[in-house]
Amino acid sequence: MKIILLFFFAAVFSTVYSQQDSLKTTSVVKGTVKNKSGKFLENVNVVIEGTIDGTSTDEKGYYEFETGKTGKRVIIFSAVDFGEKKMDVDIEPGSVFVLDVTLSNTEFKTDEINVTASSFTSGENSRVTLSPLEITRIPGADADLYRAITTFPGSNQVDEGSRIAVRGGDPSEVLTFLDGASLYNPFLFSDNYNTSSYSTVNPWGMKGINFSSGGFSAKYGNVLSAVLDLQSYDIPQTKGMFAIIGLANAGLSGVYKTKDNKFGATFSAGQFFIKPMLAINNDNTDFSPTPTASNFGGTLAYKTSHTGLLKYYMNYSYDDMGVRSTGPSYDGYYSGKTKNFFTNLKYSFAPTDVSLLNTSVSLSTYNRTDKYGIINTISNSIYGKVRTDFGTPVSEKVDISTGMEYEYNDYKANGTAPMYFYNLREDAPFFTLDNLDKTGRAGVYLETKYKISDNFLVQGGVRSDYYTLTKKTVIDPRLSVVLRITQHSFLKAATGVYHQNPGLVYFLQGNTTDLKPEQAVHYIIGYEYNRDNDFILRIESYYKDYSNLVSNSINYYDYTSDGKGYAKGMDVFLKVRLKPKFNGWVSYSYVDSKRTPYDGADKISSDYDITHTLSLVSEYNISDYLTVGATYRVSTGKPYTPVIGSVYDPSQNAYIPLYAQRNSARFPAYTRIDVNAQYIFALFGRFAVAFAALNNLLNTKNLYEYNYNFDYSRKIAVSSSNIRTIYFGMGLQL
Amino acid sequence: MKNFSKTVLLSAVIILLCVNFVKADDFTDAIMKAKKNLQASMNTYDEKALLKVRGEFERILQLKKNEWIVTYYLALIDYTIASSAMGGENSDKDKVKKYTESGFGNLEKSILVRDDFADSYILRYALSFNRWIYESDKMNDIIAQSEEAKTKSEKLESDNPRLSLMDGISTYYMPEMFGGGAKNAVPILEKSVELFAKRVEKEAYYPDWGKDMAYGFLVLAYIKRDDDGDKKKAAELFSKAATELPDSSFLKGFVKKELDKNGK
Repeated sequence: MKIILLFFFAAVFSTVYSQQDSLKTTSVVKGTVKNKSGKFLENVNVVIEGTIDGTSTDEKGYYEFETGKTGKRVIIFSAVDFGEKKMDVDIEPGSVFVLDVTLSNTEFKTDEINVTASSFTSGENSRVTLSPLEITRIPGADADLYRAITTFPGSNQVDEGSRIAVRGGDPSEVLTFLDGASLYNPFLFSDNYNTSSYSTVNPWGMKGINFSSGGFSAKYGNVLSAVLDLQSYDIPQTKGMFAIIGLANAGLSGVYKTKDNKFGATFSAGQFFIKPMLAINNDNTDFSPTPTASNFGGTLAYKTSHTGLLKYYMNYSYDDMGVRSTGPSYDGYYSGKTKNFFTNLKYSFAPTDVSLLNTSVSLSTYNRTDKYGIINTISNSIYGKVRTDFGTPVSEKVDISTGMEYEYNDYKANGTAPMYFYNLREDAPFFTLDNLDKTGRAGVYLETKYKISDNFLVQGGVRSDYYTLTKKTVIDPRLSVVLRITQHSFLKAATGVYHQNPGLVYFLQGNTTDLKPEQAVHYIIGYEYNRDNDFILRIESYYKDYSNLVSNSINYYDYTSDGKGYAKGMDVFLKVRLKPKFNGWVSYSYVDSKRTPYDGADKISSDYDITHTLSLVSEYNISDYLTVGATYRVSTGKPYTPVIGSVYDPSQNAYIPLYAQRNSARFPAYTRIDVNAQYIFALFGRFAVAFAALNNLLNTKNLYEYNYNFDYSRKIAVSSSNIRTIYFGMGLQL
Repeated sequence: MKNFSKTVLLSAVIILLCVNFVKADDFTDAIMKAKKNLQASMNTYDEKALLKVRGEFERILQLKKNEWIVTYYLALIDYTIASSAMGGENSDKDKVKKYTESGFGNLEKSILVRDDFADSYILRYALSFNRWIYESDKMNDIIAQSEEAKTKSEKLESDNPRLSLMDGISTYYMPEMFGGGAKNAVPILEKSVELFAKRVEKEAYYPDWGKDMAYGFLVLAYIKRDDDGDKKKAAELFSKAATELPDSSFLKGFVKKELDKNGK
């Protein structure tokens, strides 16, 4: 009974007592709220935690309210663009409690620093430099991701195609990374005579695109100059199909997802045919066979759990072409054919709420046939890779990531090759190729991202790779720092050591296993101002110190690792977007790239020592449906090695060319203007887009190479096959 | 004695319930008061007033953490501020983005607690349109997000007048070639006006916004469609709307201006 009575009184008194707050003498809480720079803040919400007592600040940052909630309390200050700040207070009953608050930068919600040196991004990142839509709209880029990248500073197209050379380096120094796998040949018509290459990567299929032209993270191994890191979409956001037909190609793509969002699939298929385009443009290039290509790819993704995702990606491409080429010793068709298959299976899941584990297994094959006179070679490359990456924050300020990979590569070459490089006739002496070489690489890395403050980020890491063929181990430390100067501007710097194994072809041709991994040390410093991608200004200067480059021995027959070189320069990028009408950018690069041509020689211009490159890109929305654009590019001519004479070889009935110093002359300057237009409309009630492009508007005869007559006494300029070309087509949502 | 114990216990329970009921009543009163202030500030589209009432709702959240209706209202205020910052060519993109993203955040909190409230998905549908201003590159993503929200709200409450309103507005602004335009918007907005006329909210503290917009956009659609008798219909409807909702600055300002300019 006593207990029940006790309970009754306790319940009643405790409840009634709790209501007594409001009966006590009220207090006044007042003060001001300002930011770190002293500006008073309006509309900051002020409230005593757990109560409704509070108010908002006025235009002078002042607040005042009465409350009966006295004693030890917590006052919360908050606003949409400010974080929540809590202050412990002790309010005496009947008093006037004054509390002035400064919301410092630590409360200001700014974007995470995700700017890194020499990096251009696209996709879902909040700080993308270029959106997929912009990529497809760049005049002259032909909706090709790689060609779009060459409108950024620091990279140049190889033969006006999709392969790129970065900051004075060789095209082989650029690695494409897709969902953790290495994608070695994502091109059609790659390395074919006077034919521009096209990429097989669909920019719309990528949720993240990050291109780094130097100073990149320790997670990337076996690459010297640049990385294009792509992440394909997981589960598509919608369902549908899109068809496209143009003067030179047709394609069909589609996305599908189940209602429960657990399974998704994408596909894209394309066929390349250029006969109609050649006819309309009166292009009389002597092709046999006319270039043709097919491409098919897609993804399958399945959510295995709340955080688990299994994703399969595959792509197959095929191309075939022949083009007439008249050389000093042979006049006939160069014929090139490739088959390229890439597949990757990736599993990712979150072991904890904040960590992520990715594992991928990839396989790719690349089969290539080249024929020209006595040259008749078939090469096969196989790449296999297993990779695991793990990342987790260890505190609010520190993230770590680590990973390991093993990569296998074999290269096989068969066929016939000329005994004498100056005699390519079909009946010329030859030797038979039947070579196979293989190598493996095991790599491991550890990286830490340390957010010293909201305005200062340091990322440091180290990786090590072991090459099985040469039995050599390399250790590459890397470091990058970003300092936010204001909300929109940053200072960036990066340095690091980078290694890349020479291509297996050098081991085969040199009959050696004693080539060291090539090395480059990057030093980069830069400034960036980026206001929501509407205004971007970047200035970067860099120095790349090359060593252990594959080089000819003094007798030119063997390969050594004694090559040295450097590339130094400056990149400037300015992008302006005036919504909703105008979008454009200017990029300028200066580069000085020198390498030793053979052991002991002085450094001379490298193959891609293109001193000045300027690109102007603009697009203008005439209306909501009609957009026009123009691109202008100009660059210093590429270095080449002229022939200065010849000696007759009676045994071959052919002339031996005598070369000047390597890369001692330059082509004339390269210039090109491209324009295009897109019109959006409805067809059968569906979304449709019509597009037209006029590439090389002024029909500038840019040089592809110098050829020579039979005794090298006459130099013949061979113009690029990229003459003025009109192209049009349309796309329709199905 | 046993009965006395029971009586005491029962009394204690009743007293506790009463006190808590008074507390709940405080909460409802606070919401009703804030809702009234919100209605007034939405009528005027006065940002300062909207932010002030936003603060009221934030403080109410201190009484009941994560209360779904409060976070819904916070999202609605964010949406209103973001929408008023759009203003055509002179839109304040930063503000649109800031409040739209904040709106999404508040709405997610609301849906997390109560996932069967149709108006939440209608608001998500409306918020997704705002993304065009600052994420026009993510066309597919935005379409997918808005379609998903629309489908979900249709399933939950297909006769919600705010759903027809959002449909009507999006149709009104969509180019005719894609199935949009005033002609196609008229029947949808007429349906919205009809639904609003019949609408009785289940709870007094539930949202009831949008009626002036339904009237206003239907007037605008009539003017733009300009079929026989449309201008007369526009004038009559406006007169009715202005009488019924005399405080709406949307009707008195934007719609009236358009009616005076093109409705005769």
